[in-house]
Amino acid sequence: MADKLPSEFDVVVIGTGLPESIIAAACSRSGQSVLHVDSRSYYGGNWASFSFSGLLSWIKEYQEENNGEEWTAWQELILETEEGVALRKKDQTIQHVEVICYASQDSDEHVEEVGAVQKNPGSVTSASTNDPPDSMVTACSDTSELTTPLSEPEAAREVPDVDVTLGNENHGGDTDCSQSPLEQEKAGNLPVGEDVVDAPKKNRITYSQIVKEGRRFNIDLTSKLLYSRGLLIDLLIKSNVSRYAEFKNVTRILGYQEGNVLQVPCSRADVFNSKKLTMVEKRMLMKFLTFCLDYEQQPDEYKAYEECTFSEYLKTQKLTPNLQHFVLHSIAMTSEESTSTLDGLRETQNFLRCLGRYGNTPFLFPLYGQGELPQCFCRMCAVFGGTYCLSHAVQCLVVDKESGKCKAIIDHFGQRISAKYFIVEDSYLTEKTCSNVTYRQISRAVLITDQSVLKADSDQQISILTVPPVEPGSEAVRVVELCSSTMTCMKGTYLVHLTCPSSKKTAREDLESVVQKLFTPYAEAELENEELKKPNLLWALYFNMRDSSDISRECYNDLPSNVYVCCGPDGFLGNKNAVKQTGMYSCSMSSFWNSALPCAYKPTSGTTSSPKPSLILIFLLKFSQNTLDPSDTLLRNVFSRVLDLNSLSSATEMLWLFPPYLFSQGQHNSLHNRCLIKNC
Amino acid sequence: MAGGASGEPGPGAAAGIVVPETQEHLFKVLVIGELGVGKTSIIKRYVHQLFSQHYRATIGVDFALKVLNWDSKTLVRLQLWDIAGQERFGNMTRVYYKEAVGAFVVFDISRESTFEAVLKWKNDLDSKVQLANGIPIPTVLLANKCDQNKDNSHSPSQMDQFCKENGFTGWFETSAKDNINIDEAVRFLVENILANYKNFPNEDDVDKIKLDHTTLRAESKSQCC
Repeated sequence: MADKLPSEFDVVVIGTGLPESIIAAACSRSGQSVLHVDSRSYYGGNWASFSFSGLLSWIKEYQEENNGEEWTAWQELILETEEGVALRKKDQTIQHVEVICYASQDSDEHVEEVGAVQKNPGSVTSASTNDPPDSMVTACSDTSELTTPLSEPEAAREVPDVDVTLGNENHGGDTDCSQSPLEQEKAGNLPVGEDVVDAPKKNRITYSQIVKEGRRFNIDLTSKLLYSRGLLIDLLIKSNVSRYAEFKNVTRILGYQEGNVLQVPCSRADVFNSKKLTMVEKRMLMKFLTFCLDYEQQPDEYKAYEECTFSEYLKTQKLTPNLQHFVLHSIAMTSEESTSTLDGLRETQNFLRCLGRYGNTPFLFPLYGQGELPQCFCRMCAVFGGTYCLSHAVQCLVVDKESGKCKAIIDHFGQRISAKYFIVEDSYLTEKTCSNVTYRQISRAVLITDQSVLKADSDQQISILTVPPVEPGSEAVRVVELCSSTMTCMKGTYLVHLTCPSSKKTAREDLESVVQKLFTPYAEAELENEELKKPNLLWALYFNMRDSSDISRECYNDLPSNVYVCCGPDGFLGNKNAVKQTGMYSCSMSSFWNSALPCAYKPTSGTTSSPKPSLILIFLLKFSQNTLDPSDTLLRNVFSRVLDLNSLSSATEMLWLFPPYLFSQGQHNSLHNRCLIKNC
Repeated sequence: MAGGASGEPGPGAAAGIVVPETQEHLFKVLVIGELGVGKTSIIKRYVHQLFSQHYRATIGVDFALKVLNWDSKTLVRLQLWDIAGQERFGNMTRVYYKEAVGAFVVFDISRESTFEAVLKWKNDLDSKVQLANGIPIPTVLLANKCDQNKDNSHSPSQMDQFCKENGFTGWFETSAKDNINIDEAVRFLVENILANYKNFPNEDDVDKIKLDHTTLRAESKSQCC
């Protein structure tokens, strides 16, 4: 782009993941000038969602050789009094990417995602049929390439046109079976205007249909749900960023027991309507859940078990093994071996409290995928003047030798952009900076299937299922199944996300056993008994993602004091970490930020006489960093708006000027004490 | 100027709609194009009948709302979504494009480079939003600042051809400064949106959840049980 960026901002944010975007929006909303860049061409980093073709190019990118080189050109651009902290040129947080296509793919068919690379919308309807060979589209050829090391796709491709009855009960007769491959291809190439999936001729979903309907997919790299009373929901509402997003309630909580997928009753209505539970079980479960809702009030009930694990504690409660299993894995969603009684109770309580706010389960899922959320915050930031540049890499941070502070960045054009504060996502830091950091890994699988893991009256179900560890020591696998009305997959398919902490070498090794338990590879579908048939697997992607959460600031080498690191997505279901760490500090400080951020979001009208929220924000930054100094010019700025600083006898007085909603009493006191100490 | 006449209902007229069979539509329309081509000016001129020479980036506002008494039975609420600071580098969030039903792509007739960027915007638009039936949303090309000297002349027939080849519904030479053709262009786009709407009415998904303060308040009242 011809326009050159301004060379000065208040805050530079590098990376467009959820935490970075929240901070960018908070800063912009409170009047600071923000430059928000991402070296990738899309928003969200590892929080992004992709269309099918988008995901294929993402896969391609990560399957290429990745040597993690660093920028070098910046060295000539910094002065003698400065030092450069290089940033990473290429992301290395994704590993072991494997793709398996089970749906039949006609190798001579040229397909492309409608509109994806379309230059001429006028000819959309004819674009995907009968094109000359030169239009062989990357998406298709790439994938056949990707699948070559594996044996399954061969089988998949060779499948004859056998009727596998994909939900068209009445059309699954002999006529469909005898449909010639030519007709098949035609059916798959219906013009866009018509609803391909509902076409009566079609009896199963082919790979080319997935590619063609690729824009209907919004495939999340990170699979999470929002607790309906969680921090993120609070933040969305308080910041009014929620106006950009729409949600669906997760409709079912599922459990996995003895090879069967079952629906877990969790609300009062569910419990009483359940056909699976006996009357006695219903009473037991209701009694226990009612207790959990305010367990703190009855310490006698659990005090004796505080040292035990939650699963041991459950055994002492009058619950059948069936119910214990559900409470442990599907309601508290905690580990059998390591979760303490208190943590288990807390999680159960959290779950129950979230019930009923928006629906029958405690969880919400954003329409169009989790990747919408960072974009909502980015939009907010932009609306309040934030400047956005994707595909814009940063070579290095420029650190002033004398003060040890970062004063600027040098971008990939060699332009120097200065700022007061810098927010950097962990994946941008080089090995040199992170040499003392130990990262965990998350194993992920993304599946496209043709049926729900548990059939119900409605085919539009959003389900969460926890599959308990297969063997002791391995991890429970979290499965989130999304239907097409979440706007994340095409009609007639389900998008299934599997997530667990890595314990084996690759994601596929960690997750494939669970995938096999729940689904049938498409090629084998014909052998299955109709009644017992598991959903068919059409397409699968496995990968490992680095978990950079919970890393203390001290682990990073040579980090200037005004540079803050945000972590990538963690493996948990909720977004607590992402919101909390927008404080960027240790746990003890994070509650501070939870009150500070919403404050920055408060409407500025009517607050002309009080300090600007942005300044409060910076104040908090400094406070939590222990660099608060009453003579600081920043503080002077804050208070000059209210009172003449010289008339204040001590920092303590300043403190009480802060609006009370900013702090809880406890926090206020600790701030108070710290100010006193500083002042002495 | 039919568009102008029906385009000035004023708040009183809008509130006065009580005829039961009146159909109301809410249309999200995007206004995109390079930096400084006059997107904000067009919106300001159309919605507020104002024009200012002084360029100011749009801060703090998502869209401008115009209520149109389209005909005796149809009320159209038009949300004109201006692009925020981010877009001058061409990186739109999906949030911006989401659920739009029409768009203006604006270029500056006095700067040829802004015309060259038109296709980039059109492609970005088509790749990120489409109607429920999968076809691109109706898009009108605006050759703005027609009160100024042309940088490069495109004959009307060339422009027609360009629109046909690139999937634009039509084009207008406009001037926000002199208020030329802006009402006409909007009217033309709304006609196309309405035509689409009649053919493919929006199926509303009732299960969608919007989080807002009202839900919260309503909910906190009923929480006592």
